[in-house]
Amino acid sequence: MEVNLVIKTEKSTKLIDWLWKSKFSISALSLLISLIVLVVMSLLYGANPKQVLISLFQGALGSRKSIIFTLLQTAPLILTGLAVLLPYKAGFFNVGGQGQLEIGAIAAIFVATNYHSHIPIVIIVASLLASMVGGIIAVLIPLFLKVKHEVNEVTTTIMMNYICINLVYAMITGVMKDPKAFYGTTRVVPEVFRLPEFLGVHVGVWLAVVIALITSWFVKYLVWGMKLKAVGINRVAALTVGISCNKILIDSVIFAAAIAGLAGGIQVLGVTYRFAEGCELPWGFSGICIAFLGGNPLGVIPVAFILAILETGSRYMQSMTGVPSAMVNIMQGIPVLLFLYLNVWLAPKLKSKIK
Amino acid sequence: MEISSWWIDFILASIRGATPLIYCALGVLIAEEVGVIYIGVEGVMLVGALAGILGVIFGGNLWAGLFLTLVAGVLCGFFLSFFLIWLPIDQVAAGIVFNLTALGFTSYIFRLCGAQAQKIVPTMKPLFLKISSFGVMAFIMVFFTWWFLFKTASGLKIRSIGENMHAAESMGIDIIKVRTVVFIIACVFSAFGGAALTLGWVRVFADNITMGRGFIALAAVYFAKWNPLFVLIGTLIFGAGEVLAFRSQATMSSINQYYFFMLPYALTILVIGLRGKSRGPAETGKSYIRR
Repeated sequence: MEVNLVIKTEKSTKLIDWLWKSKFSISALSLLISLIVLVVMSLLYGANPKQVLISLFQGALGSRKSIIFTLLQTAPLILTGLAVLLPYKAGFFNVGGQGQLEIGAIAAIFVATNYHSHIPIVIIVASLLASMVGGIIAVLIPLFLKVKHEVNEVTTTIMMNYICINLVYAMITGVMKDPKAFYGTTRVVPEVFRLPEFLGVHVGVWLAVVIALITSWFVKYLVWGMKLKAVGINRVAALTVGISCNKILIDSVIFAAAIAGLAGGIQVLGVTYRFAEGCELPWGFSGICIAFLGGNPLGVIPVAFILAILETGSRYMQSMTGVPSAMVNIMQGIPVLLFLYLNVWLAPKLKSKIK
Repeated sequence: MEISSWWIDFILASIRGATPLIYCALGVLIAEEVGVIYIGVEGVMLVGALAGILGVIFGGNLWAGLFLTLVAGVLCGFFLSFFLIWLPIDQVAAGIVFNLTALGFTSYIFRLCGAQAQKIVPTMKPLFLKISSFGVMAFIMVFFTWWFLFKTASGLKIRSIGENMHAAESMGIDIIKVRTVVFIIACVFSAFGGAALTLGWVRVFADNITMGRGFIALAAVYFAKWNPLFVLIGTLIFGAGEVLAFRSQATMSSINQYYFFMLPYALTILVIGLRGKSRGPAETGKSYIRR
């Protein structure tokens, strides 16, 4: 009798433990609290908070068209989230996702508008591969400086972001400019070379999900993934065991940059079909927030979806209630700060050390 | 005759461009000397930039703007030190996320204030040899910081926290308190850097007006190997890069303008890359956990 009771208590404690202290619940809690922040800030603005929330979700999920748009936003967010998550575990904070994304986009456009083939899929695959190569090129300098000269990668990748953005703009107003257009834009990708659709959204969305799933499987079940985990937990211990930390770092950074470039590629081949001046592809920095709130490659998918809801819904929210869509940046940043804070608070060992 | 006046003009413009960087770099420097990686400098600079403009527009005169900048800096200092100093979290990550939040926050507040906030602020009168008051103050602060950090006992205590936390603790220094105070001062510096950008130079606020200058200031500190005097040289170089970017656009308009906009950032990477590994204070970034 007594033994049964003990087992029962243990099981329920485990559930409560998971609910309170698991990373999943902390992320969920942070996102919920950020909604409260949204309510407070919309009150400051003079808008009706209930209306604000309703218009936010209506804008993102209200109609079939908006759901599709939200899904289209989710794809690059998943990929940029992964692009920050993987190298972070290896010890490289990849803030350069934005630049890698843009170079990837321009590389994809270059292949799709300059090369021709009777078999469309050849060009499509080539463009996507080109976008991955473009992303890798964008990260080579920071990676080299980090590995050879131990230069802090945060500054270098952020500088690369600005360099890439300006380089891309220089391309679209100069060398790659559409001769028929009045403003800076590249030529339009021909219809045959655009990404085909599957269940209402372009293939890129499913590709992003598949990549996240494959990455999750990689990290969990392959030796490389275990080495990555080891390096992330304790670098010195990993070195002692014989894991080449540099190689793991380089591998993960190249993979991440390729995925970030791919995010740009699927966006231009699937949604915008061109790269124009003023074209907004703001997913680089959101990727950082997604990486932290997601925690692992699988968790990135729902978090990316939620942030896509925020981004899509915020425009409708602005037009309906007047609350500026710049709120969305606050709503991406605050949950991560909260997450970092709660993570410490709900870890008892660390908590006792602060006291 | 003409050539020398172009040079003088260029140097003055470089000083004007470097002034916001000097303030932010000093902020980063003292924060790192006390052991805090201060990636959030870009966000605090942006908040200070907004606070300066709002203070002048709603307060009426320059002192209101400076006072509001001071308040904004202190508030940011408290907010950030909560995450960076009082909790053992990854300082780099918290800093980057703070920058994103600050971007949204300043854009939001800017829109909240309506059309009034978009007025152009009157130009400040230059103080000394055509250098603005912000610039003169920046020079003074560089030397003051150098003197304070390297020539006084308090400065030594501050630096010791950055080098070896536990040794400093054993000397009786209250790590958390000193870190918080120094970090708040660092935030005030960065806020003034932002104000130097909007009040002293551009005279208007726009979304993300800092455009990565906080990070350039961070790079300047690495370049200067954590010496305030070399910070002056580093920021002047980067300021000159920015000025070149604007001026070349006018003279060599055949080359696409965006290549010139890349200049400050490419110069930054080049400078950091050539400088190689910089050894900063040994225990920067490590959270303080009592043993």
